[in-house]
Amino acid sequence: MLRLIKIESAKLFYKLKSWLGPMLIMILVLTAFPLSIDISKFDLEKFYFSIIVVSLLMTSFLATEGMFEEDFEDGSLEQEFLVEQDFYKLVLSKIFVYVCFIGIPIAFIGAIFSFANGVEIKNFAKVFFLLSLSNLLLFNLFAFGNALSINKGAMLGVLTTLPLALPVIILLGTAIRSIQYGDGFLQIMFLMIGSGFLISAIMPIIISAALKTHID
Amino acid sequence: MKLISAQNLSYKINEKKLFHNLSFEVHSGKGLHIKGGNGSGKSTLLKIILGITSTLKGHIKLDNQDLKISYLGHKNAIKNYLTPSQNLQLLFNGDALIHAFEWLDKLDLFLVQDELTANLSFGQQKKLALIRVLAQPSELIVLDEPFVGLDQDATELLNSFFTTKLSEGAGLILTSHIQPSFECQVIALGKTNA
Repeated sequence: MLRLIKIESAKLFYKLKSWLGPMLIMILVLTAFPLSIDISKFDLEKFYFSIIVVSLLMTSFLATEGMFEEDFEDGSLEQEFLVEQDFYKLVLSKIFVYVCFIGIPIAFIGAIFSFANGVEIKNFAKVFFLLSLSNLLLFNLFAFGNALSINKGAMLGVLTTLPLALPVIILLGTAIRSIQYGDGFLQIMFLMIGSGFLISAIMPIIISAALKTHID
Repeated sequence: MKLISAQNLSYKINEKKLFHNLSFEVHSGKGLHIKGGNGSGKSTLLKIILGITSTLKGHIKLDNQDLKISYLGHKNAIKNYLTPSQNLQLLFNGDALIHAFEWLDKLDLFLVQDELTANLSFGQQKKLALIRVLAQPSELIVLDEPFVGLDQDATELLNSFFTTKLSEGAGLILTSHIQPSFECQVIALGKTNA
């Protein structure tokens, strides 16, 4: 497992566009949006967090686009299958590395920009943790989509799993409101942590089976 | 010592039979050369032997489940956005990495070790991919068209490597349109089988 994490980290580190791209897009959207509207006409605080959520969705969507495609195309998946006899550890490592390298920095950026939404500075850690958890859930879901359509353009599969991300978005919205109004945050947080554990344990099994079908 | 035995293997794609009731054994120190035209099922047979693809009928038995297998298919399994040196660092560590760099030198890739793999020629990329097999201790070597794209020197080096490994007791299975320079059992698939 450590071997795989090391390999996946090195691979992602050298693929600059895969991790830097989503982060730059996140920053670009979050800064360009308020600039493109007449703030005096609108109460930005009321809806700015929706922009953070949509940006989060879009960037995690983008970040996971080529997660398995490259390994499938160049034959690395076959090599990995020979070593491990399945892809469970590979998927787990990949998602872990992607969340650490892309998901958490994106969550950090989102948390910084959440101040524009009127979130108090003392709640920074809560928002950051919340966005990181959301990214964990989203990365698992989109990795599944990526694995489904690996030989037909990974984006297609990611698009098909987009509806699965809606509950995460709803949950995230509810959690943010609970932070703003200081009510019921812990319950939602525990629900998200539970979902995170569950999805992180189950999704790699499903993704592993999907990948095996593709190399078969 | 028997490494692999295959009994009555059958496989078809879209009602086209690639092979039917195919049986063979691979022993340590022996080679198996799988011949056949394009689309005759050579690569599929290799994947069935390795357990990557499931056979429709028959079965494959590995006598030792912990058999160390090295494999290179028709895809190189190297990263084009990395340099040869970085690719080797991903694959090997410790003494194996030193050994891999020795092969890099033997295969005339030492001078291009810090160039992007994407910028290397087809033959150079193939050589780099072969290091995965060459530098790894293995009891069974499985290769899909290993000579494609290689120059005369590299072909001779590879043949010499195979001869050495066979003398050391490793098993070898390869598909190739070129006749290897060492003695081995031959299986002909497809038209050549008729």
